[in-house]
Amino acid sequence: MSVWRFDKTRLMHQRMAMLGVVFGCLILILMGRIFYLQILQGDKYMQLAEKNRISIRLTPPARGNIYDRNGLKLAENIKTFQAVLIKEHAQDINQVLENFQKLIPLDVDEVERIQKEIKFKRAFMPIRIKDNLSFEEMSLIQLNAPDLLGIQIEEGMTRYYRFKEDSTHVVGYVSLLNEQDMEDDPENPLLDLPGYRIGRTGIEQSMDDILKGTPGIRKTEVNVYGRSVRVLEEQKPINGQDITLTIDSRLQSFATDLLKNEGASAILANVQTGEILMLVSSPAFDPNLFTAPISVKDWNQILNNEKKPLQNKAISGTYSPGSIFKPVVALAGLENKKLSENQEIFCGGRLKSGNQFFHCWKRGGHGHLNVTEALMHSCDIFFYEIAPEIGADKIIQMAQKLGFGSLTGIELRGERTGILPSEQWKQNTFKEGWRTGDTINLSIGQGYLTVTPIQILKVIAQIANGGKEISLHLIQDTSKEHPISDLGLDPYHLRLIKRGLSMVVNQKKGTAYNSRFEIDGKTMAGKTASTQVRRISLKEREEGVKSQEELPWKYRDHAMFAGFTPVNNPKYAVAVVVEHGGGGAKKAAPIASKILQEALRLEKSDAHQNRLERR
Amino acid sequence: MSFFKDRNCYLKNYNLTLIDKIRRFNYKYLFLVCLVVMIGIALLYSAGNGNWDPWADRQFMRFLLSLSLLFVVSFINLRFWMKYAYLIYGVGVLLLIGVALFGHVGMGAQRWLNLGFIHVQPSEVMKIALVIALARYFHGAGNEEVRSIKFMIPPVLMMLIPVFLILEQPDLGTAMMLVFASVGIFFVVGVQIWKFVAVMGIGALSIPVLWTFLHDYQKKRVLTFLDPERDPLGAGYHIIQSKITLGSGGIFGKGFMEGTQSRLNFLPEKQTDFIFTVLGEEFGLIGSYFLILLYVLIIAYGFYIAIKSSSFFGKLLAIGLTINFSLYVFINMGMVMGLLPVVGVPLPLVSYGGTAMLTLFVGFGLIESVFINRDMIIGRRRSIDDK
Repeated sequence: MSVWRFDKTRLMHQRMAMLGVVFGCLILILMGRIFYLQILQGDKYMQLAEKNRISIRLTPPARGNIYDRNGLKLAENIKTFQAVLIKEHAQDINQVLENFQKLIPLDVDEVERIQKEIKFKRAFMPIRIKDNLSFEEMSLIQLNAPDLLGIQIEEGMTRYYRFKEDSTHVVGYVSLLNEQDMEDDPENPLLDLPGYRIGRTGIEQSMDDILKGTPGIRKTEVNVYGRSVRVLEEQKPINGQDITLTIDSRLQSFATDLLKNEGASAILANVQTGEILMLVSSPAFDPNLFTAPISVKDWNQILNNEKKPLQNKAISGTYSPGSIFKPVVALAGLENKKLSENQEIFCGGRLKSGNQFFHCWKRGGHGHLNVTEALMHSCDIFFYEIAPEIGADKIIQMAQKLGFGSLTGIELRGERTGILPSEQWKQNTFKEGWRTGDTINLSIGQGYLTVTPIQILKVIAQIANGGKEISLHLIQDTSKEHPISDLGLDPYHLRLIKRGLSMVVNQKKGTAYNSRFEIDGKTMAGKTASTQVRRISLKEREEGVKSQEELPWKYRDHAMFAGFTPVNNPKYAVAVVVEHGGGGAKKAAPIASKILQEALRLEKSDAHQNRLERR
Repeated sequence: MSFFKDRNCYLKNYNLTLIDKIRRFNYKYLFLVCLVVMIGIALLYSAGNGNWDPWADRQFMRFLLSLSLLFVVSFINLRFWMKYAYLIYGVGVLLLIGVALFGHVGMGAQRWLNLGFIHVQPSEVMKIALVIALARYFHGAGNEEVRSIKFMIPPVLMMLIPVFLILEQPDLGTAMMLVFASVGIFFVVGVQIWKFVAVMGIGALSIPVLWTFLHDYQKKRVLTFLDPERDPLGAGYHIIQSKITLGSGGIFGKGFMEGTQSRLNFLPEKQTDFIFTVLGEEFGLIGSYFLILLYVLIIAYGFYIAIKSSSFFGKLLAIGLTINFSLYVFINMGMVMGLLPVVGVPLPLVSYGGTAMLTLFVGFGLIESVFINRDMIIGRRRSIDDK
């Protein structure tokens, strides 16, 4: 072998060995990298692969129905039909949309939303085009199917309120999720469910947790395009529980009709059990408007109504109770022995306290009256006189005992407490001491005191049932007890008050005499109130107080009536407040009377029906 | 025995009969190669969700075709390749020019030449032709000659001409492989190490200049490699999903045909460049290491055959083709593991694709030929040799 050949072979083999070492290192790097990825980072990548592969979808549960006491559905789920577009089935998406709009016009906002979804949704995901198709629209779509390739009709669920505005403020409504909900709870998996609705007001809101149920979970394996390949795991949804209310939908409809066009509320309860049979706030609106996105026109109409249809006046309207407070004052006097049954007081039309005059609503005065007569005539002077004797704190104590100044605990959100003033309260709020004038104002339910209609109802019901404390409720739930306790009031005093309240209605001079009724010997008792929303000046008082009809609506008195029936063995109590309705006797008492009569009539016919059935 | 063999070698008419050739053929080497191909076909079957169609069956047909080509090539006299080395290289360059002028555009690059009856990918031809030509050039070079810069000018040009033509297509991966393979041969023939260091230094300094010559999609690939999260749904998607596929395999893998990433298409082009991740996902660390072991054995055999060869042409041919093969392995694996940018280099013998398989098998045929003719001495100069 020649020398050059030997040298070259040696050099080449040397270099090959070096190259071999380099390759060995590279192999080790690769193996190390595999070890790193598969062993050290294996769990992380496994999770990422699972995340790629597994899609968790929620299946919506059916919402529980809401029934009234007679088993009628106040809120239920109904099938709806909606038009959806599936991109991959359409050849020319824009053409299809155009054809669709020729048949069924769409809002500009909606078209914008659809265009957005077309851009971002996957080819096989349905895009909602139109909700709540009518039968006409459905047949139009079916007839023109060849021009609407890609459009499908899908079945969905929506909430339906059969009684429309009659039950709005009790049942409430549900609506689709909005951006606010996403901000409040971005983790909520239900947010991804199209067509998922949550309760916004009424029982739908307060009992949402019970009604909504638990969504099912559907784990599917999806490919890279998001298309489901197979179901890995499925958990059925648990439907929401039904709720039965103590409400009688017939009374709801009846009262809604009576209160139509008023800014008013009316509540009826069973004084023995605390069951609320009727709760109406007027004006109401059709809750079905909200289940699909509400149109701007409807929304503005509701929002711009000066009588505030969105407010549930029965629980969140606060008013001075006016003369309705007088029985409370009288009871405080009797209980504290500052007033006796036959004690008479002279009413001359006005009373001077310090250098201030307090007027009775009757210019000439009522002459001599005892406590029942004072209630019957709703004499202001009588209460002006006795209130300082009793003392504001005792009156306030009694008011508190009967239920003013605290929540009744009704199963609705938005209930307000109103204001039950006290010396302490006035000091804190106005940095002023309590004056005798404040006590005098308080004695006729004016001044700082404000209450809600449902508090009025509770107070009148507890007077009617003989001083038993009840908890007002809307939900019929046999498992939940509504304890009834004794308020510890002297039954004789209560009877005295009730006699006065009966005289209001059944005596010729009583303020609500015109609203009296007698059905099978059952009559009504109650108290009227007309509370001023403006101050009457001295000048006006001299010239003659303007009649309510002369005043603009906003300045008229609130008309109220709180009453119960039957007088001897009370069962139903009612509270009616008509905002700016003028006089309580004129406006509120007739409505209350009609409602009580209807309640009695229904009770009778139901009993008759039951007897027939039992036979 | 070896004494006689050596005697034999110096015979002017060193010609082996077909029987001799069959006897001297290295079957263990071929077995390793075929085993890797079989693993590849199994992975393609899995990647096709348990179907022969569309990949596994075709790959199998190509394997049969490639195998017969391997035998044909390995039985051709080694001197034939020596003799026509430059001609083959010249044809390769002409084909590359042809593709630049009349090429068929596919996948955004102009790589194919339609010769009427067959589609040819000249860059693949060049991978072999360049190694043959360089082996031929350095065959008779003495150590002193190799040290001179003047002597190195022709081989560097031989490398650069096809590299530039291929960069024009554009095909960064193949161009890089040609450069690396040539550099490997330069290294093995004994070019001083300081020269490599110097060239690398100059190369590093000129990166900013070269950067401007890169195509946008190539720039994007490099940038995405450096930071895949830059574009997780676009160009970075490949690298991220590739790592997820590989990493989620763990030690034992998810099982044959149970790889979710590949089955559900989270990994695009899983049948070609990213096939290794399918193996990693379904057979885990064990499977990955097993395949790497097979590759190491094939590469080691290449070195062994190069060392065994008596002729420098044979040594250089074997080592050059082995380097070429190793580069496929390193670049592809480095790429799918996120160590290198995605440059479009298939995993040799495993990735779906006919041209690469044919090229590789021609290469193995040549290596086998070197092994069969391991005792053949080829003279330094042609005149001496053929006398």
